[in-house]
Amino acid sequence: MTVRFVLTAFSAVLMLAACGEIGTEAPADGETLDAPLPGLTPEELAAFLKGDEQFGFAFSPVLGLGPIFNNVSCASCHSGDGRGRPENALTRFSRSATDPALDIGGPQLQDKALPGATPETLLAGVLTSLRLPPPVFGTGLIGAIPAASILANADPNDQDGDGISGRANMVVPAAFVPLDEPGGGSGPQLGRFSRKAQVTSLLQQITEAYHQDMGVTSDFLPVENVNPQVGTPTETADLAVDPELPLADLRAVVHYVRLLAPPAPGQDTPQRQLGEDLFAQIGCARCHIPVMQTGSNIIQALAFKPVPLYSDLLLHDMGDALADNRPDGQATGREWKTTPLWGLRLIRQFLNGQAFLLHDGSAGSVEEAIIRHGGEAQVARDAFVNLSADDRAALLDFVESR
Amino acid sequence: MSGVSRIVATGFVFLGGWATTLQSQEDTTEVDRPMVRGDMYDKPYLAQLAGRTAVGGYVEFHARYARVDGVKEEFTFLAKRFNLFFASQISDFIRFAAELEFEDAAEEINLEFAAVDFLIARALAFRAGVILVPLGKFNLSHDSPLNEFTDRPLVSTRVFGVTVWEPGIGALGIFPVGSAGRITYQIYAVNGFDDGLITESDGTRIPEGRRNFEDNNNSPSLVGRVAWSPRIGIELGASLHTGPYNVFQQDGQEIDQKRNLTIWVVDFEADFRGIRWEGEGGQANIDVPASLLGIYAERQQGFYFQGMWDFGRQWIRTMPKSFFSAGARVDVLDLDADISGDNVKQISLGFNFRPTGETVFKFNYVRGRARDRFNNPSDFADFLFSVATYF
Ligand code: HEC
Ligand code: HEC
Repeated sequence: MTVRFVLTAFSAVLMLAACGEIGTEAPADGETLDAPLPGLTPEELAAFLKGDEQFGFAFSPVLGLGPIFNNVSCASCHSGDGRGRPENALTRFSRSATDPALDIGGPQLQDKALPGATPETLLAGVLTSLRLPPPVFGTGLIGAIPAASILANADPNDQDGDGISGRANMVVPAAFVPLDEPGGGSGPQLGRFSRKAQVTSLLQQITEAYHQDMGVTSDFLPVENVNPQVGTPTETADLAVDPELPLADLRAVVHYVRLLAPPAPGQDTPQRQLGEDLFAQIGCARCHIPVMQTGSNIIQALAFKPVPLYSDLLLHDMGDALADNRPDGQATGREWKTTPLWGLRLIRQFLNGQAFLLHDGSAGSVEEAIIRHGGEAQVARDAFVNLSADDRAALLDFVESR
Repeated sequence: MSGVSRIVATGFVFLGGWATTLQSQEDTTEVDRPMVRGDMYDKPYLAQLAGRTAVGGYVEFHARYARVDGVKEEFTFLAKRFNLFFASQISDFIRFAAELEFEDAAEEINLEFAAVDFLIARALAFRAGVILVPLGKFNLSHDSPLNEFTDRPLVSTRVFGVTVWEPGIGALGIFPVGSAGRITYQIYAVNGFDDGLITESDGTRIPEGRRNFEDNNNSPSLVGRVAWSPRIGIELGASLHTGPYNVFQQDGQEIDQKRNLTIWVVDFEADFRGIRWEGEGGQANIDVPASLLGIYAERQQGFYFQGMWDFGRQWIRTMPKSFFSAGARVDVLDLDADISGDNVKQISLGFNFRPTGETVFKFNYVRGRARDRFNNPSDFADFLFSVATYF
C-alpha cells in the first residue's frame, strides 16, 4: 500500500518529465500578445519590461485606486494585452457632440466606487456608447504611420464613387499632452486610437485610462475624477496622496504599449491564399487595408516598418445595426474606426476560449461580425453573404488566421 | 454589551459550570497529550523547562527555483524564518508562552503569540494576550520543522490568513470522552480583521486585514475551534471566525453598513495504514460593498489534503533516529467562488530527510495552474529545497 503510494507519486513526476513539461513550457514566438517589437536596444527593452510590470499592476485603494473607477489594472480590461469582454466594457455618455455631460459625470460612466464614495449612474436623456476594450499591441506602429499616409486614403465625399468614404477624426489633444509628444501638437491632430479614433496620442489614451478607468492621478492629471451626481466630496473616500502614479511609471507604460509587437499571422495555405484574394475582391480591403508603412522614428524598431494591420484607421458609417447614435469628436453616431484585424488568430486564447468582436463585443465570431456590417460596408457584406460556402470558408479562414 | 461579548460571557458561565462537574473525573491515558499537536505547548524545547523560563525556537532556510509559463520567475535563497519561543511555568496555575518571529531576514518582525494561561482545570483555562487564533489546525501548528512541505497550504495562508494572531481573551479546555478519546475547545473574543482586506488590495485579500493589535471598529470578533479525537492519531476539528471588519460607527454615529467576515474551517488528521493523512478546508464569506462587486470577491474557499509515509528508520546506522518521508499534497484555492476564474490548483511532491524528528531537509516539486479573472490559465512549477530545525 505505502509502496504503491510512493510509486504513484514518482511515476507522476516521470510522466510530467516525459512530456517535457516538468518546468512548464513557454508559448512559441509570435503566439502571445505581449511580446516586444524585434530589434529593441537593451535600454528600450529594460524600459519595456518596467512598463510590462506596470501594465499588469493592480491598484489597491491605498495605492490610488478610486474614489470612482471601472477596474483595477490595465490588464484586468485588456486581457493578455488583447481585448476585453462585455463584463469589463466601458460606457461613454454625453448629451451631444458638444456637451460631454461633465455636470452629471460624463463622458465616462464610473460604476465602481470605494466605500465612502458613490458610483455614477446613467441619468435619463443621455446618449450612451458601450466600448469593449480593444487590443493594445501594435499601437506604437499605428502611431508611427505618417498622418499623410492615413489621410491619403480618406475620401469624405466619396469622390471615387465606390460607396466608401472614410473620414479622419481630427481632434485637439488634451492640454496636458506636450507639443512634441507623438500625436501632440497645437490645433487638431489626426485621431488614431480608441473605437472612434477620438484620441491622438498614446500618452493621452493611457493617462486618461489611469485617471478615468482606475481613478489613479498622475502628473498630467493630478486632480481626482469625482462623481458630480452626489453632494459629498468624492475625494474624501480616496486613500492615497495625489499624484498617485509616479511619472516614471506612466512613461514606462506608454513606452511599453508603444513597443508591443503584433502577433505573427498564421501559416499561409492555399485556402488562405484564396481567402486573401477574396478579401481584396469583395471590398473588405478597401477599409481593412492590409499593410501600411511607418515613417521615420526616433525608435529604430518603429522606423520604416510595414504595419500589417488590416485597417485604414479612418471612420466609416457602418449602418443602423452598429450605430451607437452618440457622436464623439468629429465622428458621428454611425461611424466607427475600421478595427484592425491583426491578432484575430489568438482572440480566443486570452478570453478563455471565447471571442468578442465589434465595438461592444456583441459578435461571437468573425462571421457574425461581418454579417453585422452595414452602411458603407453593405456592398462588401452582401458580397460575402453571396459567396459560395467554400469561398466563405476560405475568407473566414484567412481573416481568422491574421 | 455587544452581541459578541454577550455570547462570550454566556459561554464562560456555561463552561465554568461544566468544568467544575468534570474536575472530579478521573484523568485518562491521554492526559499527556497536547491540546493541539505542535501547538504552543507542544514543542521540543519545552523538555528543557526545568527552571522558570525556557527559550527555544526554530529556523528555516529556502532555496527556490520557480518557473511560470516556461520563464524563470524566481531563483533565490531566503532566510525565511527565525522564530524564538519562550515559555514560563510561573506557578501551578499560571503559565506563559510567547513566540517572536523574524521573517525574511528580519524584514518583518511579529509577536505571534504572548499569552498568559490561568489553569483552573483541564476542562477550563483562561487565556489572554496575543493569541494564535484557533482558525483551523494549521494556524495553531504551523512550525516549519513540523510542516512536511516547504510552502504552507494555499487555502490556509490565502483564505484563512495563516498565520493569524490577534490580541484577545477567552477560554480553552479538554474533556475526556471514553477511554482514550476527548474533545478540546478554544474560544476567544478577538479584535478581528479590518478593512485592509479590501483597501490594501485590488481584490478581496483576507490576509491584508489580519493581525490587528487594536480593534478598528470597536466590535470584537469571535473565534473558536472544537476538535474531537477518538484516540491518539485521529482528530477532527471545526473552527469559526466571525465578526465585523469595517469601521461602520465613529463617534457614536452610524457611518457605513456593518460588514462581516465569516470564515469556517474543518480540519482533520489521521494515521492510517502507515500514512499520516491531514488536511483542512473551508470558506470565507465577505460582505463586500455593492459598489465593489464584480471586482472584490464575496466568497473564497479551498482545501488541502496530504499524505506522508515515513520509512528508512534504520537505514543510516550512524544516525539511529533518522528517517525519511515521502508524500504528496493537493491544494485547491478559489479566490472568487462566484466566477470561474481566479483560482489555483497545485500538487506538491515531497521527499524529506530527518536526522532526528526535530530537523528536516525538504525537497519539493510543485506543479500547478493558476487562472486569472478571465479564467486564462498560467502554469507554474517550483523546485524547492528547505531546511528547518527546532532549537
Ligand atoms: C475599464 C477597462 C479599461 C482599463 C482599466 C484600461 N482600458 Fe484601455 N481601453 C479600454 C476601452 C474600452 C478602450 C476603447 C475606448 C474607446 O473606444 O473609447 C481602451 C483603449 C485603449 C487603447 C487604444 C487602443 C486602440 O487600438 O485604439 C490603449 C492603447 C489602451 N486602452 C491602453 C490602456 C492602458 C495602458 C491601460 C492602463 C493604464 C488601460 N488601457 C486601462 C478599457 C480599459
Ligand atoms: C466600409 C469599411 C469596411 C468594410 C468594407 C469592411 N469593414 Fe470590417 N469593419 C469596419 C469597421 C468600421 C469595423 C468596426 C465596427 C464596429 O466595431 O462596430 C469593422 C469590424 C470588422 C470586424 C470585427 C473586428 C473586431 O476585432 O471586432 C471584422 C472581423 C471585419 N470587420 C471583417 C471585415 C470583412 C471580412 C470585410 C469584407 C467582407 C469587411 N470587414 C469589410 C469597416 C469595414
